[in-house]
Amino acid sequence: MANFFKLPKFENEDQNVKARLIFLISVGMAIASLIFLVVTVFAMPNLVRRAIGLAILVIPGTLAIIWLVRSFRLQTASRLLLVMIWFSVTLGMVTAGGVSAPITIGYLFAVTISGLLMTRRTSAYVTAICVAVGMIVAWAEMNGWLPPAKSYSPMERISIYSFFFVLVLALQNITAGNIQHLVRHARESESKYKSFLESIPTVTYINSISLNADTEYVSPQVKHLLGYSQEEFLNDPLLWQKIIHPDDQEQVLTENACTVQTGSPFQVEYRVLTKDQRVIWVRDEAILVHDEQGKPQYWLGVWTDITTRKHAEAEQTELIGVMTKRTIQLQTAAEVSHAASSILDINVLLPNVVELIRNHFDYYYVGIFLVDESKSWAILRAATGEMGREMILNGHRLGVGDSSMIGWCILHGQARIALDVGVDAIRFKNPYLPLTRSEMALPLITHSGVIGAMTIQSTVPAAFSSVDITALQTMADQVANAIENAQLFTERSALINELEKRNTELERFTYTVSHDLRSPLVTMRGFLGYLRQDATSGDLTRFDKDLSRIANAVDKMQALLNDLLELSRVGRIINTPTDIPFRQIVDETIDLLIGSIDAHKVKLQIQENLPIIHGDHTRLIEVTQNLISNAAKFMGHQPNPIIEIGSAGFDKDGKPILFIRDNGIGVEPEYHERIFGLFNRLNPEIEGTGIGLTLVRRIIEVHGGRIWIESQPGKGATFFFTLPPSDLK
Amino acid sequence: MIGEPVLVMLVEDNADHAELVIRTLEEHRIANKVRHFLDGQSALDYLFHRGEYSDPADSARPHVILLDLRLPRVDGIDVLKTIKEDDHLKSIPVVVLTTSEAEKDVAKAYYNHANSYLVKPVGFEEFKRLMDDLGFYWLSWNTNPNIPE
Repeated sequence: MANFFKLPKFENEDQNVKARLIFLISVGMAIASLIFLVVTVFAMPNLVRRAIGLAILVIPGTLAIIWLVRSFRLQTASRLLLVMIWFSVTLGMVTAGGVSAPITIGYLFAVTISGLLMTRRTSAYVTAICVAVGMIVAWAEMNGWLPPAKSYSPMERISIYSFFFVLVLALQNITAGNIQHLVRHARESESKYKSFLESIPTVTYINSISLNADTEYVSPQVKHLLGYSQEEFLNDPLLWQKIIHPDDQEQVLTENACTVQTGSPFQVEYRVLTKDQRVIWVRDEAILVHDEQGKPQYWLGVWTDITTRKHAEAEQTELIGVMTKRTIQLQTAAEVSHAASSILDINVLLPNVVELIRNHFDYYYVGIFLVDESKSWAILRAATGEMGREMILNGHRLGVGDSSMIGWCILHGQARIALDVGVDAIRFKNPYLPLTRSEMALPLITHSGVIGAMTIQSTVPAAFSSVDITALQTMADQVANAIENAQLFTERSALINELEKRNTELERFTYTVSHDLRSPLVTMRGFLGYLRQDATSGDLTRFDKDLSRIANAVDKMQALLNDLLELSRVGRIINTPTDIPFRQIVDETIDLLIGSIDAHKVKLQIQENLPIIHGDHTRLIEVTQNLISNAAKFMGHQPNPIIEIGSAGFDKDGKPILFIRDNGIGVEPEYHERIFGLFNRLNPEIEGTGIGLTLVRRIIEVHGGRIWIESQPGKGATFFFTLPPSDLK
Repeated sequence: MIGEPVLVMLVEDNADHAELVIRTLEEHRIANKVRHFLDGQSALDYLFHRGEYSDPADSARPHVILLDLRLPRVDGIDVLKTIKEDDHLKSIPVVVLTTSEAEKDVAKAYYNHANSYLVKPVGFEEFKRLMDDLGFYWLSWNTNPNIPE
């Protein structure tokens, strides 16, 4: 039973207040009607019947109202309460015979309650209905349709009035209490929220909806976060904009302008400068708050310090960057190592390595320089991209020890970095590589010293660190070793080739010596025998003939032995090479051969401006002597024999190409290589030991040059050969 | 055999050696006639009746061929090969007469069916003796096939 009178909890305070009001009024009315009944029984027996009627109406009505309230139907409950009051008053008025009955004052009560419980409009209707019903009752009373008006004693009158006084008093008390309760509650919750807002570790703020979003409120924690006090913010509504980090200002203000225009939530992370000039990261989130009509009122925002998170993020990003880089470096190192161990030809290896490094690290350009024989120039041997190809074609080279990074790096055998930043900012001036902003030069070091250097260039201003040097230097070391291995391998192959060639030559030599040296011996011994017979028989004609045969054979043998001796000397005995104008060698040779040249009626054509070459004077004369006399010998039946001597530019190593051309019988292409072989004589009718061209080739090769022939039978022959250029540049 | 002219073909690029061979053969009256060729090409032209030897009357089949190995134009070994690959000519005994003692040359000659391999001796008596023996052996003791023209 007690539970029945307990009020349920409503969602909001307003409803709770209303429910209590309805409950108290209806219960109050029920109690008042019971008290009224008791009073009438004892004091006013003529009103007992009416009191009973009132109680019969009010008590069940009250129970129904309580039930409705408990069912959360406040609206219906308040209507029922109003109808009950109105009905009781109207019924009492009619039965008491008209508007003069004291119960009429009950309308006042009904109007008051409707004002408290209903909307303004409804309470206006209720008032209108009460006035109208009062008019109707008055009109009916004037026409005598109502029972005769009951007369009340003053005591009865004041009793009924008092009943309503008490009810109004109770009502007023309840309402005042409720209002106080509401106010207190509102104050409590406000201070609760405020203390909550001002104790959480974030800063809340309210900004105006103007374009500048002026600060209207900021919670005091701002002092702790930014060093500026609440007052400083309120005194300068645009302070929040002024303290944004200059790098972030544009982004934040753009975002702000956009948010202000669209009304969409604002959410940006940016840096701000605190009062003591520290940089901190904040996350700024704000929403637009609207009133009940949907009109924007202000921005409600929160600043959260995310510096720690940002630092952690940056650290993580950096860590991932470093790890990615290390991974790439490891992978590249593995691939470079693989290439270095599997490719023996440096002309294949170097382009491979530069491409590998460039592609893996996404560098702008990678190139490898190798020091030339003179140790004074670093020559670009492999380079990436179109620009690299062009630079190699143009013979790009840098002086060892000159002002270039590569020059320095090779001279000192140390890595070096140049960055286009800071005090040591370097201007990169290579026209082929206009985008270079930083460069790293790494020496290629082997057991025998610095053999070259690798250049790595980036378009990023500060692309290299000392850690990169360490990682890339290991690759450079591998490349250096590979180059050394490849050079050793090439040298070994060349040596083996040379050995095989020598061996074949030696075989051929012993074979030929057994034949060619034996041959004149057979002649000499044979005819010596006949010489004796001739002497005995007195055949002097044959004696002379046989004697000259022997003499010829002796000459031939001597020539052969001389040539063989000469051949064996080349490569062992070399006079100190000097710079000699090639013209001088030609002239000296012609002086030696003038007899033979005249005998063959050969016309000589010698080019002007022959180069200065570098070599063994005596040996080089042997070369021209052999070639010119060969040319004169193999003229055939040429009526206008001409020998032309000249130069034909330079080979790829910069060595001058010289030639001796004749218009004689020529050589068939199949013999172009064989003619240089020992004892290979093509024409037995022409004098010779078969050593001359072998000797010529040997001398040229000892000088580091090359000799070859271009010829067609009947169309003359041209012997081309290269010799080292003069030392003077 | 008697009365039949005995023809020796000598292929030798060294004129002095040719003279020695011819002189010794003639002295011992071994061969009636020696025809000397300075290179392999002219020897083959003779055997195949080509070029200047197109008249068979002037290019009778030799009874034996004395062949040097190092010859201009066509090498001795190639001459030997050509002879031994020809159905008619392969019956003619070919005696290699050279200054080379190299095993390589000996092997190559016999591989190409040379009938004999002789090294020119250094020394007058030895040379005469060899020619003597050679003449007797191939032209007297040895029965040669009857080779049709």
